[in-house]
Amino acid sequence: MTTSPKTDPTTSPQAAHLRAQKRRRTRLHNFAAYTVLTTIALVMLYPFYWTLITSLEPTGNIYEAKLLPSGLSLKNYAAVLSGTTVPFLRMVLNSVVICTVGVIASVTFAALAAYPLAKMRFPGRDLIFYAILALVVLPNEAGLIVNYITTIKLGLLEQRGPVWDTITQYAAIVLPSVASIIGLFLIRQAYMGVPIELIEAARIDGAKELTIWRRIMLPLSMPTIAAFAILEFVALWNSFLWARILPLDPQMLPLSAGLLELSGTFATNSRATMAGAVLVIIPILIVFASLQRYFMKGIEGAVKG
Amino acid sequence: MLPFLALLMLYHTWPVIFGTYLAFTKYNIISPPEFVGLDNFRELIKDQQFWSGVVNSLKYLLVVPFIQLLSIGVAMLVNRPLKGIGFFRTAYYVPVVTSFAVVGLIWTWMYQQSGPVNFVLMHLGLMQRDSSLLNNPGSALYAVMFVTLWKGIGYYMVLYLAGLQSIGRELEEAAVIDGATRWQVFVNITLPGLRPTILVCSLMSTISAVKVFEEIFVMTQGGPVGSTYTALFFNYAKAFQDFRYGYAAAAGIVVAVISLVFGLINFKMTRGGRVDG
Repeated sequence: MTTSPKTDPTTSPQAAHLRAQKRRRTRLHNFAAYTVLTTIALVMLYPFYWTLITSLEPTGNIYEAKLLPSGLSLKNYAAVLSGTTVPFLRMVLNSVVICTVGVIASVTFAALAAYPLAKMRFPGRDLIFYAILALVVLPNEAGLIVNYITTIKLGLLEQRGPVWDTITQYAAIVLPSVASIIGLFLIRQAYMGVPIELIEAARIDGAKELTIWRRIMLPLSMPTIAAFAILEFVALWNSFLWARILPLDPQMLPLSAGLLELSGTFATNSRATMAGAVLVIIPILIVFASLQRYFMKGIEGAVKG
Repeated sequence: MLPFLALLMLYHTWPVIFGTYLAFTKYNIISPPEFVGLDNFRELIKDQQFWSGVVNSLKYLLVVPFIQLLSIGVAMLVNRPLKGIGFFRTAYYVPVVTSFAVVGLIWTWMYQQSGPVNFVLMHLGLMQRDSSLLNNPGSALYAVMFVTLWKGIGYYMVLYLAGLQSIGRELEEAAVIDGATRWQVFVNITLPGLRPTILVCSLMSTISAVKVFEEIFVMTQGGPVGSTYTALFFNYAKAFQDFRYGYAAAAGIVVAVISLVFGLINFKMTRGGRVDG
């Protein structure tokens, strides 16, 4: 601050000089910021780009660093989709079924279960909620092992005929993720924001709790519910460990788990596996790009609690 | 409510109870669990492989400060009102929404001996192209850590961004008018304001570092020569390769206790995330 207090800051040449200096500085700062931002973006995106262009090359030195493909062909994609080694299209179907059923079930369950916890009065309500919440904090190392044992004991992996087996194997994959504590937490949080007067008024008018839930709570909490549905979709689409551990029929594997299978069987043809990886990423990128706003909101909501 | 609770009990509560019980038994699914007391824990103490797994898991904690500092930096960068900032935010989030199965495979290829990573390192004069980072016992763990870092930055960035936006600009601008330097603003206003977020984020990343598994599962399977064999990979291998479910459950409990301890240390270090110091 070198300007003397007597000069008018809007007209003095000194002030104009300072403004110009400030503008130059801002421009320099912005330039530096863009440089850093672009560098990070390259580090984040190049691996995907590199996988894409390599998957499009018919031949050549496969793992070489490059900026453009040395040739273009879809033969690696044909190799994956023709499904001679791994039933890729079947896996797409599996993933779609698992995601659809999983998202619908977990959203419905969480949306229903959150209602009494948020807006109904009964003894021990908060205790139940905090007990459920504590499960997230509680170390759950043995989870995989015990859930595996449970799945076996429930007989979900026994052979009883083709149609029945398909259903039970899907159930074995989906069931452990249906009761989502995060979902319960998020949706309860949204319900808490609904004014109690609205509900009391409906109760006085003789509405049943289920009607109140359907006509008042659900519509008013839609943004949060949508955000949770997206989160759940991404999680289900990406999950692979659980399905890989279950002794499933290879026909039943979802995409992410199937991709690892592909990398095993295509050990000599990594390009085909790369094509498979691209095919696994594309749907999730489309979903993410089109619903990005809800997505970020859902995560922010989770932080702010 | 009831179906939710039932599934919750089955898949969330039951594993904790039954898992704890299993830790004191010998169990292979086929015959019923046989109670053996503390035998599993006694064996664990003497198990070299388990301890080297624990050591690797603890080494993995190195990733936590890097991931947190970088995400705070990136969050502050994308918090600026620049043109096209939405593109950058989205770009950084792409690795987050991609499956570990895909990410792990991509980086396994990127790390190949003739691959892009070696290409860059060679041109920076940091290494000769003699082997892949993943095949070298000295570097494999760090190579996997880098993938965790790369995939995690976008996730924590979003959380920090939310934290930054809840601080608001008024306070920072007031400080600038009072003549504070950028660094003073950062240390005295931004950082304390972010403390609750820092607690949540460092807690999450500490616990997931101790429990690192999926990256290892896809990229190295514990190798080469056990250099990426982490505590939870031990847990997995004992259960699903050796079918020693009781022993694996005992290892799981030890890992849980370790991550709990580090969680508490974290809690202390961030002073419980209180905004006032």
